[in-house]
Amino acid sequence: MRYILRNLGFYLLAFWASITLNFMLPRFMPGDPVSRMFARSQSQMQPEQIDQLRRLFGLDHRPMWQQYLDYVKDVCTGHMGISISRFPTPVSEVIASQIGWTLLLGGTALVIAVVIGNLLGILAAWRRGGVLDSVFPPLLVFAGSFPYFWLAMGALYLFGMTLGWFPMRHAFDVGFSPDLSWAFLSNAASHLVLPALTIVLVSIGGWMLGMRNTMIATVAEDYITMAEAKGLSPSRIMFRYAARNAMLPSVTNFGMALGFVVGGALLTEVVFAYPGVGFQLLAAVQGLDYPLMQGIFLTITAAVLVANFLVDLVHVRLDPRVRVR
Amino acid sequence: MAPTIRVRRFRPAVLAAPVVAAALLLTGCSGTGTNAAGDTSGDQLLTIPREDFATFTRNFNPFAPSQVVAPLTTQAIYEAMLVYNPANGKATPWLATSWETSADGRTVTFTLRDGVKWSDGKPLTAEDVAYTFALQKKLLGGYEYLKSAKAEGADKVVFSLTKPYSPGLFELGKQVIVPRHVWEKVKDPAKDTNPNPVGTGPYTKVANFQSQSYELRRNPEYWQPKKQQIAGIRVLGFSGNDSANLAFVNGEADWTQSFIPDVQKSFVDKDPKHNAYWYPRTGSMVEWTMNTTKAPFDDPKVRKALSQAVDRDSVTEVGMNGYTEPADCTGLSGGYDAWRDAALAASCTWTKHDAVAAGKALDEAGYPKGSDGRRKLKSGKPFTFDISVGSASSDWLSVANIIKQNLAEVGVTAHVKSPDWAAVVSGYETGDYDTGIVWSDNGATPFQFYRTTMGTESVKPVGTKTVSNYHRFGDKKADRLLNEFAAAPDEAGQKAKVDALQKLFAEDAPVVPLFPGPEWGAYTDIRFTGWPTADNPYATLTNRGDTTVLVLTSLKPVKNRQH
Repeated sequence: MRYILRNLGFYLLAFWASITLNFMLPRFMPGDPVSRMFARSQSQMQPEQIDQLRRLFGLDHRPMWQQYLDYVKDVCTGHMGISISRFPTPVSEVIASQIGWTLLLGGTALVIAVVIGNLLGILAAWRRGGVLDSVFPPLLVFAGSFPYFWLAMGALYLFGMTLGWFPMRHAFDVGFSPDLSWAFLSNAASHLVLPALTIVLVSIGGWMLGMRNTMIATVAEDYITMAEAKGLSPSRIMFRYAARNAMLPSVTNFGMALGFVVGGALLTEVVFAYPGVGFQLLAAVQGLDYPLMQGIFLTITAAVLVANFLVDLVHVRLDPRVRVR
Repeated sequence: MAPTIRVRRFRPAVLAAPVVAAALLLTGCSGTGTNAAGDTSGDQLLTIPREDFATFTRNFNPFAPSQVVAPLTTQAIYEAMLVYNPANGKATPWLATSWETSADGRTVTFTLRDGVKWSDGKPLTAEDVAYTFALQKKLLGGYEYLKSAKAEGADKVVFSLTKPYSPGLFELGKQVIVPRHVWEKVKDPAKDTNPNPVGTGPYTKVANFQSQSYELRRNPEYWQPKKQQIAGIRVLGFSGNDSANLAFVNGEADWTQSFIPDVQKSFVDKDPKHNAYWYPRTGSMVEWTMNTTKAPFDDPKVRKALSQAVDRDSVTEVGMNGYTEPADCTGLSGGYDAWRDAALAASCTWTKHDAVAAGKALDEAGYPKGSDGRRKLKSGKPFTFDISVGSASSDWLSVANIIKQNLAEVGVTAHVKSPDWAAVVSGYETGDYDTGIVWSDNGATPFQFYRTTMGTESVKPVGTKTVSNYHRFGDKKADRLLNEFAAAPDEAGQKAKVDALQKLFAEDAPVVPLFPGPEWGAYTDIRFTGWPTADNPYATLTNRGDTTVLVLTSLKPVKNRQH
């Protein structure tokens, strides 16, 4: 329990540091949202409107510390303000409209990559030097080292355009509206295949190698020899004895990756025109949309911290040594 | 000044162009398994991809900035009193049938069309127009020359101006009109999202609104029912040019305005019978702007000599893919051909490439070459400076690099600096830069262009933010001519002043004009016909501009074409 409390304190400190950075960084960038908007406007804006828009968007020229205090208060009470680049939609609404797709895409891809990657890693280490061990790691690392943009474009071209197996864009076809019907769910699933597949392809190698390497060390431990000497079945030794112990670093990594899922997959979203937080964040940064930027960063920060905290809890459960300390 | 003036704009458009080019060249025209391609039932929807909207918000408030509001709000839903078309220089009467400026230039009277109804069935009245201007001024400001807009009877609107201001005619005419009976009930019009708009436009009914697509269907009360030949419009959202171009080249969209690299090969050649593009040179002038508050750019001789060193043919051919043509010394873009003084444009030399003459001019201006072949400033320092361009605009970057090579030939060293546009623009705005490549201001007449390139009123001191006249140059003579232009009662009088302004521009060289910005636009006529072309320039091919409504009311669906 003391371990958890101590960690909780650390997380609060980390949270404060990150929201402070979150406040400072956008304000170090040159320009302000209205002149950005003006510079990008294709027509429809005149210089005289700038002051009016600044007032409308509630951009203030109060001293920094005052803005900071208000900001901290808003963060604590959950008010994230109104997005400027999507005026007058509240930031929370903008994020809410995107985060579902982001979690769906990122979560699906992550879970698939982790499960398959770890299984492959376990098997590869168990049969060291076997086919699995000698063929897959170089192959997957090779796939992982492709520039993602290129890989995604290639997949889009091959499976989307030439073969026509999967839709090329968007989260669902025109004409559907999100509901729980089978028709919509299967349509959304078919739209998920290519984006998720490409993410899995580039990330799976890392999971497999990581698992394989710790697993090899674990397999050489005395207790494995002991288990074998006792005559336990190989699969029991592999999963319950070796893999369970080798799993710890993977669990940590999984937790971190889970937190970062919230940040979205920018390139995937760009190539497949998939809705999500990643592109929204890029647009917010380009448009200097402070409230939205802060909102998204805050969400990411909170997600990473929460995920890490959960991992800590799981660690306590998985690794008895942590409890003893 | 009116809300529909094109201002300096920066295109984040040409991002990752090589990758797209490769992908597009690979693209076949097999038209595989796509829902929209090839639908010629007669009820097919006109599909427009928007590369600048990853997702849409249901916001149809015409007073919202254009990056916020859902596309086509001010094109298909709300209409203006007149539509000015830069491609042929004509103004088409739209909600107004005629307009008149009083002899003293202080009153403009618009006569509204009879029988125009809002999409809720109520008639359009002069009260609506007067109310719109009052609301626009209250919410967003602008129209500082407009004293009042008053309804006179049901069909006449009288605009009283604070001074004779002829450019105001088109600016007032371009304002989209909103219904008073709807908007006066809105509590906070600036923050309203207007999810179910009531307008006079041809396609006002919002249908199937999703975050990445929505449809606009026919307005049942439209005043030109015969011109609503297409069943509706579908807008698709994309997170950038790549995915939008892919959908377009694949035949799933009809009309795009995003930049397509090597458009002939990657699009037109796929189906030369149906695919076409038209890039009229009616965009605003793209200029090499120099910070005239810094030496040596305060010297017009230097600006002209540097301009003469630039090989505009290779700038347009290589840097801009041949999509545009070199500028001349009037500074006027292709949209102002009717105003251009052709004799002046042909006679002057400082916009024509001549490295020898440029070198000589620099010698004479007092910047001789040193022993190492490089020129020195009067202070004795080497003649070097930066050209700042945003990193996202790959075409303008290559333009800057060509200029850099050209300058090296005359012994001047330039460095191309390409951080993010935001950083570049911030430098322009505060006057903390050497030179850069920017769009100029654009309006229905050359007034706006000359006002912000030479008028002293637009000059702000270094350190004070400005959004136009980044070069910070003003000439009192230009002020006088601009005022006389604004007060000129007729076109002949205006023309004389523009002639004088052109001469002054050629003399002062406040900025170095490079080439007129092409207005991108491409279409396929597999599903719809009647597009504007170079031979029939009834509009430009923009799907987000003033003339868009002209295209929407001219297109016809193709019915039952045999494949």
